[in-house]
Amino acid sequence: MIEMQDVWKEYANGVSALSAVSVSIKQGEFVYVVGPSGAGKSTFIKLMYREERPTRGSIFVGGFNIERLRERQIPVMRRHIGVVFQDYKLLQKMTVAENVAFALEVIEVSRRTIHKRVTEVLELVGLSEKAHMFPRQLSGGEQQRVGVARALVNKPSVIIADEPTGNLDPENSWSILKLFERVNDRGTTIVMATHNREIVNAAKKRVLAIEAGRIMRDQERGEYGYED
Amino acid sequence: MKIRTIGRHTREGFKNLFRNGWMTFAAVSAVAVTLFILGGAMILSLNVQNISVNIESQLQVNAYVSSSYPQKHLSTLEASLRSLPGVRSVSFISKDQALKKMEKLLQSNADLLNGIGNPLPDEFVLQAKDPHQTAMIANEVRLTPGIDKVQYGQSVIGKLFTVTTAIRDAAVVFIIALLVMGIFLISNTIKITIFTRRREIEIMKLVGATDGFIRGPFFVEGTLMGLFGAVLPLAALYVLYRWLVQSVPLFPPFSLLPWASVLDKVVITLIACGVFIGIWGSVISMRKFLRV
Ligand SMILES: Nc1ncnc2c1ncn2[C@@H]1O[C@H](COP(=O)(O)OP(=O)(O)OP(=O)(O)O)[C@@H](O)[C@H]1O
Ligand SMILES: [Mg+2]
Repeated sequence: MIEMQDVWKEYANGVSALSAVSVSIKQGEFVYVVGPSGAGKSTFIKLMYREERPTRGSIFVGGFNIERLRERQIPVMRRHIGVVFQDYKLLQKMTVAENVAFALEVIEVSRRTIHKRVTEVLELVGLSEKAHMFPRQLSGGEQQRVGVARALVNKPSVIIADEPTGNLDPENSWSILKLFERVNDRGTTIVMATHNREIVNAAKKRVLAIEAGRIMRDQERGEYGYED
Repeated sequence: MKIRTIGRHTREGFKNLFRNGWMTFAAVSAVAVTLFILGGAMILSLNVQNISVNIESQLQVNAYVSSSYPQKHLSTLEASLRSLPGVRSVSFISKDQALKKMEKLLQSNADLLNGIGNPLPDEFVLQAKDPHQTAMIANEVRLTPGIDKVQYGQSVIGKLFTVTTAIRDAAVVFIIALLVMGIFLISNTIKITIFTRRREIEIMKLVGATDGFIRGPFFVEGTLMGLFGAVLPLAALYVLYRWLVQSVPLFPPFSLLPWASVLDKVVITLIACGVFIGIWGSVISMRKFLRV
């Protein structure tokens, strides 16, 4: 499902963010990525949907060779990966329903299908009532649920999330987590970077610990393991 | 691209116009102001051109036949004048016709002419094909045997041509300068608009939109802004011009063209410029934000 082979990332300013990272994640796995601030978690995540490009190494996600993609193929690849961002990245000028629908409009499905799928997904995240509100009229937790709905609406085979609960209180964090677990139960792969110790320790899932750009620990049914 | 996607871009384009409220307002105003001045300059220069053509077409050479010239050969003389190069028309005014005209002009004082017979000569009136050749033709006519005296308003002609060409050149320079200024103004306004949408464009790309898909609504929006930016000044110019034509008293050759005869040129130019500027501004200036 996701393969990284000897991946290195050095930013233009000379900061070395990842060194010799090799990981293999199978379809249907739920993986937490943990580590201290500045360790390289976000970099690791961004490489998977090509927001950043590695200095060296190869990356495969859901059958796409991320590094060998042609310019025209990038949007196609991104439609197969659901990404949830820490800062939500919602389109402020669009309503909740329009934000979610956008991910379907780009693949040119019929308006009927769009309507049906958007209604379903908004129900799943519990936002049916607020479909016609704008992001600025929602709480942080609600905005993040819109972000999750948008990531799910295409039925991607993998969801990638960088600190999706980073700006949320515990209650909202848990509701996002519950959503991810339900999606994961249906066979969707989930990779999630987080600083949330309670969640990681309670979940007993695979944990990847990154420190100073290297994978220091890769543990099934792992623990958070840091004191921050 | 599927039809439904074109429909979607059109809907989005319209929505964006309203959701970007004051940005749309700023861009449309910039286009409208520029096109208003452009349209005004066009109407002005069309009128100046028309007036100078009017004046030029009234330029004529008056050739007076010498009193000793035999009456029966007048038609030969007319034919030889007609055959001069560059002459468009020759008309004859006999001394009797000239006298009647004179009497009419003098009206109650016509009796001044009593008892002195008819002092007026026979006269040919020539018009040049090209008004600029009037002076040359006058010289040719002067050398024709049987012609006594030639008049063509020497001093006026030179000045008139300098003035009309100067006005025409100035209008062209003015219009070009204006267009350059306008395009600069508009491209800046639109760049600001796009700049504030930079984040939105990035998000769209991260969700899997192609460049073409993102451009779609911008294309529609640009076209609409250009159209509004052209229609507003057209309406304003129409109202203003109609008022001018009705309320400013002018006498030929200084007459204003009717709106109908400036209409097509101004409408086509303004709408074409508006749409071009709108699309160009929206689509081209967003290119660099698409690299995500
Ligand atoms: N765009 C960038 N340009 C230059 N250096 C960067 C860039 N992004 C990140 N870095 C550097 O790369 C290193 C890893 O950053 P990264 O964002 O991956 O850390 P992280 O593990 O996500 O941290 P946090 O937990 O605080 O989010 C850091 O030293 C950071 O300063
Ligand atoms: Mg991070």
